[in-house]
Amino acid sequence: MQLITFASIEISSYEVGMKILELSSKYGMKEIDYIRHGLDLGKDAYVHGEVGNEMLEELCEILEDFTRIMKEYQVDDYRACATSAIRDSRNCLLILDKIRVRTGLEVEILSNSEQRFLGYKSIASNEESFQKIIQKGTAIVDVGGGSIQISLFDKDVLVSTQNLRLGIVRIRERLAQVEQRTIHFDEIVEEMINNELSSYKRLYLKDREIKHMILVGDYINQLAGRRRGEKSVSFSREEYQKLYQEVLSGSPQEMVERLGGVTENISLVMPALIIYRRLIEETGAERLWIPGLNLCDGLAYDYAEHKKIFKSSHNFENDIIEAAKNIAKRYQSNKTHLAGTEYLALTIFDKMKRIHGMSRRERLLLQIAVLLHDCGKYISMTRTAECSYEIVMSTEIIGLSHREREIIANAIRFNTEEFVSFEEFSMGCSLDRNDYLLTAKISAILRVANSMDRSHKQKFKNVKVTLKERELIVVVDTVEDITLEQGLFSHKADFFETIFSIRPIIRQKRQV
Amino acid sequence: MEKNDFIKTEYYRNRELSWLAFNERVLSEARDKNIPLFERLKFLSITASNLDEFFMIRVASLKDMVNAGYTKKDIAGLTAQEQLDQIGEAAHKLTGLQYSTYSRSLLPMLRQHGLNIIQEHEALTEEQAKYVDRYFRDNVYPVLTPMAVDSSRPFPLIRNKTLNIGALLSKKNQEEKELEFATVQVPSVLPRIVPLPHGKDGSRNVILLEEVIERNMQQLFLSYDIICASPYRVMRNADLTIEEDEAADLLKEIQKQLKKRQWGEVIRLEVEENIDKKLLKLLRKEFDIRDEAIYKINGPLDLTFLMKMYGMEGFEDLKNPKHVPAPVKELPSDCDIFEEIRKGDILLHHPYQTFDPVVKFVRNAAVDPRVLAIKQTLYRVSGNSPIIAALAQAAENGKQVSVLVELKARFDEENNIIWAKMLEKAGCHVIYGLVGLKTHSKITLVVRREEDGIRRYVHLGTGNYNDSTAKQYTDIGLLTCSAPIGEDATAVFNMLSGYSEPAVWNRLCLAPIWLKKRFLQLIKREKEHAEQGGEGHIIAKMNSLCDRDVIEALYAASAAGVKIELIVRGICCLKVGIPGVSENISVRSIVGNFLEHSRIYYFYNNGQEEVYCSSADWMPRNLEKRVEILFPVESEKLKEELIHILEIELQDNVKAHILQPDDTYVKVDRRGRSALNSQDYFVEEAREKAKTEENPVNSRVFIPEEPAE
Repeated sequence: MQLITFASIEISSYEVGMKILELSSKYGMKEIDYIRHGLDLGKDAYVHGEVGNEMLEELCEILEDFTRIMKEYQVDDYRACATSAIRDSRNCLLILDKIRVRTGLEVEILSNSEQRFLGYKSIASNEESFQKIIQKGTAIVDVGGGSIQISLFDKDVLVSTQNLRLGIVRIRERLAQVEQRTIHFDEIVEEMINNELSSYKRLYLKDREIKHMILVGDYINQLAGRRRGEKSVSFSREEYQKLYQEVLSGSPQEMVERLGGVTENISLVMPALIIYRRLIEETGAERLWIPGLNLCDGLAYDYAEHKKIFKSSHNFENDIIEAAKNIAKRYQSNKTHLAGTEYLALTIFDKMKRIHGMSRRERLLLQIAVLLHDCGKYISMTRTAECSYEIVMSTEIIGLSHREREIIANAIRFNTEEFVSFEEFSMGCSLDRNDYLLTAKISAILRVANSMDRSHKQKFKNVKVTLKERELIVVVDTVEDITLEQGLFSHKADFFETIFSIRPIIRQKRQV
Repeated sequence: MEKNDFIKTEYYRNRELSWLAFNERVLSEARDKNIPLFERLKFLSITASNLDEFFMIRVASLKDMVNAGYTKKDIAGLTAQEQLDQIGEAAHKLTGLQYSTYSRSLLPMLRQHGLNIIQEHEALTEEQAKYVDRYFRDNVYPVLTPMAVDSSRPFPLIRNKTLNIGALLSKKNQEEKELEFATVQVPSVLPRIVPLPHGKDGSRNVILLEEVIERNMQQLFLSYDIICASPYRVMRNADLTIEEDEAADLLKEIQKQLKKRQWGEVIRLEVEENIDKKLLKLLRKEFDIRDEAIYKINGPLDLTFLMKMYGMEGFEDLKNPKHVPAPVKELPSDCDIFEEIRKGDILLHHPYQTFDPVVKFVRNAAVDPRVLAIKQTLYRVSGNSPIIAALAQAAENGKQVSVLVELKARFDEENNIIWAKMLEKAGCHVIYGLVGLKTHSKITLVVRREEDGIRRYVHLGTGNYNDSTAKQYTDIGLLTCSAPIGEDATAVFNMLSGYSEPAVWNRLCLAPIWLKKRFLQLIKREKEHAEQGGEGHIIAKMNSLCDRDVIEALYAASAAGVKIELIVRGICCLKVGIPGVSENISVRSIVGNFLEHSRIYYFYNNGQEEVYCSSADWMPRNLEKRVEILFPVESEKLKEELIHILEIELQDNVKAHILQPDDTYVKVDRRGRSALNSQDYFVEEAREKAKTEENPVNSRVFIPEEPAE
C-alpha cells in the first residue's frame, strides 16, 4: 500500500501551523500531528505594511523547528504556504528568500482565491457530510485574519464567492485605537461589519434560500472542539446563539474562562463570533456545521488528488466553471453563444493536443476564457476587450491563482486586440515568457472558436474537426449561410497559424 | 446546607502539623517491635532526613513569610508565626521521641545482638583508645581544617547540614583566661561510623567520627587548652526562589542558586544536651537564632548515619530479605515489546512488578529501525540511569529524541543539569522545563512507522523514570498504543515544546490548565448522583491532600451522601467526622516498607465506573504550579486490577493508620481478624502472577470440557 507522509504548513496572519498527515488510498487522509504557534504577523503587515525583523526572526525559528519535526516523521513531501499577512507585505519576496536561506523551506504565496479554494477543498475532503449538506442552499463562511470569504452553494453547485476585507486581525488593528475608549467594543465591531455586510446582502445574497452554513476558522474550530470534545461538530441556529450569548457576556476574564481556556487573544475570538452571528441572522441558516479543518488539510487533499492517491467524488473543476458562468451571467453574456463557442474551442483544443502540448489545467483556462470573453459588453460595446480584461482582473474566481486569472484576462484582451511582443506584453504585468506563450495559444484558439459563432446564431452545431498534416479542417454540417463566418475567419486563422503552424479551414458539408 | 459552610477554617488542618504527624507515623515503624531491628534503624534514619528537609523547605518559607510581614492565614486559619510556634512545639516533641527510641530501645537491642555503639570517647577501653588515636592520626587529621575565630579572623561559614565541633580555647601559659572560639567540620568525605577492633566475645564495636575528633581535639590546637568541645549542626533556609522571568538562562541561574543554598539564614541549631553554656551562647549569637529554634539533643546529632549502619555487612537476620520485583508475565525479557502492547494495554505495579519493561521500552525503541522518535519527560532519574543511556543511544542511532529535563526538581537540580548536558551532547533535543511551571508528569512517547502508518506507543506513570526508586516506591504504569491517547501524548509534547494546545484532548487531562476543574467535576458528579437518590462512591489514593477547593468539594459530596474512602500517605488537611460535613469520609495512611507513591482515583459514576491514575496529588502545587497528567485506565480487565489494589489497601490492617476526628492517627483495631499487610500481599500476588500458567496442551492430563449449562 502506498503511504505518503505529508507536511502542510500554513503561515497565516496570527499563527504558524503545521499538520503532519498520512495519505493513502485505503485510509484517505489521517492527521498525525498538528503543531501550532501563535505569531502576530498580521499586526506588522496590516499596520506597517511589512513584517519586521524581529517577527521574521521568530518566524524563521518556528519554521526551523518545523523542519526538525518533519525530519522526525520522515515526511515524503511538503507544501508550505503563506497567506494574506505575507502577501500584503512590501517585503514579501525578501521574506520568502530569508526563509529559504535559513530553513531550506520553499514557501509559496497563495492568492486569496487559491487559499479559499484550498480551504474549501479541505471541507469537501469530508466527503459524505459535504455532499449531503450542499444539496440545500449552503453558505461557507471562512473567517481569516486578513479577510473573510463567503461562498454560496445551491444544489451541489458553487454559485458565488466573495471576499470581504473583514479579517479578525484586520478588524482588531483597525479598531485598536477605539478599544481603549469604549466598553462596548462588541457593538463597535458589529457596526463596522454591518456596513459591508448589507452591501454584500444586496448584491449577492438577494433572496437566495440558505439553509445551511459551514463555519470555517481556527477560533471557531477550537471553541467548538472544546465544547463538544470533537473536531467536527454540528449546531442548530439556537445553539449557536446560546453559545454566543454565553461567551460574549461578562468581562474579558470571564470570557476566557467560558471559552474553556482559549487563552489566545480574546480580541480575535470576538470579531469572529460576531461575524458568524450576523451572517446567520442575515441568511437565516438553520443548521451550522463546523468541520474543524483548515488550509493545511486542503493543501494535503490537493496534493493527494494531484498525486492520484485518491479521487474526490466532488468535481472541483466544475466549481470553477460554475463560478465563471455565474460571472458571465452577472454581466448578461449571451448564454447560447458562450455554449457554442465553448464547445468549439474545447473540440479544437482536444483535437490539437498533440500539437499544442497543453495540459488539462490549461484546457480549463481556455474554457474560463471563453466563458468570460464577452462580459465587457455589459460596460461598453465599443471597448469590450478592455472592459472584459478589467472585469476578469478584478473579479476573484475561486480556485484560480492570480497568475492564471491574468493569463485568462490577457487571452480575452487579445481575442480582439492585436497581439503584441513580449516586451510590450510584460509591461505592468507579472507574467513571464512561458505565460506569454500560453496566453497566445489560448487566445488563438479562442479567436478561432469565437469567430465561428460570429453571428451568435450557433450555425456551427454539428462540427467535425480533423487534423490533416498542416491543416485543421472544420467540417460544418449546416444548411445555413456561413458566409459571414467564413469571411471573417481568415484573419483569425492567420494568427492561429502563426502560433501553431497549422491552418484552420472551414468546410461546409451541405446536407442533401 | 449552605455551600459556604464547607470552607470554615476549623474544618481544615494545617499542612505542616499534618506532615509532622506523618513523620510520627514513620517513627512509629521504628518503634514497632514486630519489625526487624535493622529495618527500624532505617525508619529512624528516614524520620531524621525527612525532618531536615522539612526544616529547610517548609519552616524556612514560613520564616520568610514572617520576615516579609506576610499576614495571610493558611487553610486552617493560622498565621505564619502561629504555625511556626506550633511546629516548634511538635518538632521538639518529635525529636525527643526520636532520641528516646534511639537510646532506649534501639541501642540496647543492638548491644544484645552484638553491636556496640560507643556513645562517648571517654568510654573507650585502652586498646580501643589506642586504635582510635591511630585512626585519627592516619586518616582524619590530614583532612581536617580547624578554624579559630579572633579579631583578625571572622566567624567562618558553617555549611548547611554539616556536622561541626565547636570548642572554647584558652592560650597556654597565660595568666588571663581569655576564651577563644574555634570550630572544625567533621569531614563528610570520611565514614561517620568508625569500626573498632572486635571484642573478645566476638561483639562488634563502633564509634562515631565526631567522638574520635573530639577526643583528639588537643592535637588541632597545640598551643591552646581546650576548655570545652561539643558537636553542633545548623540548618539553613534552602528553599530555592528563582526569578525565572529575569533569568535569561535558567540553567545558569539554578547553578548560581545552588551555591547560594549554603548561605541561607540559619533556622535550626542542633547541639548536644550537655553543651557548655558559654559555647552555646556564643553559637546562638553568631547564628542569630532564638531559643526555640535550638534543639538540645540527648544522643548523636544527625541520625541519618543509621542508614549507613543498615548497610553494614552481616546482621542479615535482622533485616528484611532483599525484595526482588517479580517479572511481568506479559512482557518476558526476550519479547517484542511493541507487539505485546499491540495485543492490549499492560498495567505495571511497581515495585511488586519489575521496572525492567519500562527500561526495555526505551531501549528497544532506541534500536528498532521502525521507530522514528522518542519523547520523554524526566524529573528525577537515578545515578547511572539506563534510561538516559538508552535515550542517548537512540539519538546516536539517528532517532529524533526529545527530552524534557526538569531542572527545578528539588535537590536533584545538580544531577539533572549533568544529564541534560550529556543528552544534548548525544544529539537529543533537550527542553529545560517551562517558565514558572515544574513538569512533574511522567510520560514517554515512542513514534513508530508501521505498515499501516504511524503508530504511537505511550507509557504513562505515577512515578519517576528512576529504576532505583522504582524498587522502593509503589507506583502504577500503563503501556498502551491506544490511538486517542497517542494523539494526546503528541499534543502534550507539542505543548511542552512551546506550541499551542490542541483543540481537543481525547483522553488525557493536564494540569495546570484543566486538571483541577476536571477533578472537581468528577467529585461533583458523584455528589449529583447521590442527590438524585443514586449511589455515590469515591476511592482516592494519593500522597498528600491539601487543596482547599478539592476538600471543599469532598465535604459537599460527603454531606450529600457520597461514600468517600481516602488513602493518603502523607499530609491530609481534610478532617474526618465533622457532623454534617465529613461523616462519610474515611482517611487511612499506609506507611510500610515501600513508600506508597501511586495516585489512583476511582469514581463509581452510577455503575459506569471510572478509574484514573495520575502524577498529581490533590495539592495546590500539583494542580496549579505543575504540568501533570491524569490518564484513564479503560480496559475492563485493568480497571478491575486497579480496583483490586484499592480494595486490598482498604483492607490493610497491619500498616494502615486511620485518621481520627481529633487529627490523630490510630492503627487499625484488628479485633481478631487475620492480619493483612497490603504490601506483603502484593509482593506475593505479583510472584504468583509471574508464574506462567501451564499450557493445557503441553500438560499430560487432558481436561474434559464441561458441558455448557
